[in-house]
Amino acid sequence: MKKNTFFLLVGCIALVLLAIFWYSVETHLPPLLIESAFIIAIGIIYLARKKVTDLIEDERSAKITEKAALRTFQVFWVVFCAISIGAVMNMLYIPQLPRQHFSEPHQEILPWEILPPRMMGYLQLGLLCLMIFLYVGFRIYYARKYGDWETDEE
Amino acid sequence: MKNKIKVFRAMHDLTQEDLAKVVGVTRQTILAIEKGKYVPSLDLAFKIARHFKVNIEEVFMYSEEGRTIDVD
Repeated sequence: MKKNTFFLLVGCIALVLLAIFWYSVETHLPPLLIESAFIIAIGIIYLARKKVTDLIEDERSAKITEKAALRTFQVFWVVFCAISIGAVMNMLYIPQLPRQHFSEPHQEILPWEILPPRMMGYLQLGLLCLMIFLYVGFRIYYARKYGDWETDEE
Repeated sequence: MKNKIKVFRAMHDLTQEDLAKVVGVTRQTILAIEKGKYVPSLDLAFKIARHFKVNIEEVFMYSEEGRTIDVD
């Protein structure tokens, strides 16, 4: 299989997945359909990639991928853990410091709440999505560093 | 790390694409190596040198000058 045929196949699979997704949403089908479709699609892409005859990846592109993934992980785990610790703190009721000394008499002392636990979950999901953009950013950076957009002299 | 790939290519009348095919990488990788943007692995360096039928030191020159540890 040629490289371009492979990319065309990936595009078609993405379109089919999108169609299944919207069909599932519109007809209120159980999420099992799109989940299994996604797993099958990844399997097909994996098998098709093995059959590509002209080269797609060499040691330089492998290094770019490796570096981008490593940097993404390094940045991500710090942010994710910080947010998660905040979420746990929130759920365990933030320790109350003796704020009554600093507040007006008879003023109600309310517990501190940064975000409700449900919102923390959404924030973590958002962070997971953000990881994709972070990875793309690092990939562009390393691709540039290792000469992906160098001008040809030939 | 400096290299003379471009010189050897000219001597053997090879394009970047030809050399890339022979050593099993993309043309962009050969271009990046020639421009000094990417340091090849030992395996690839040996393949390139072997293709030109010379020792690896004749194609790749290691210099302490300007040597930096690649941390990022």
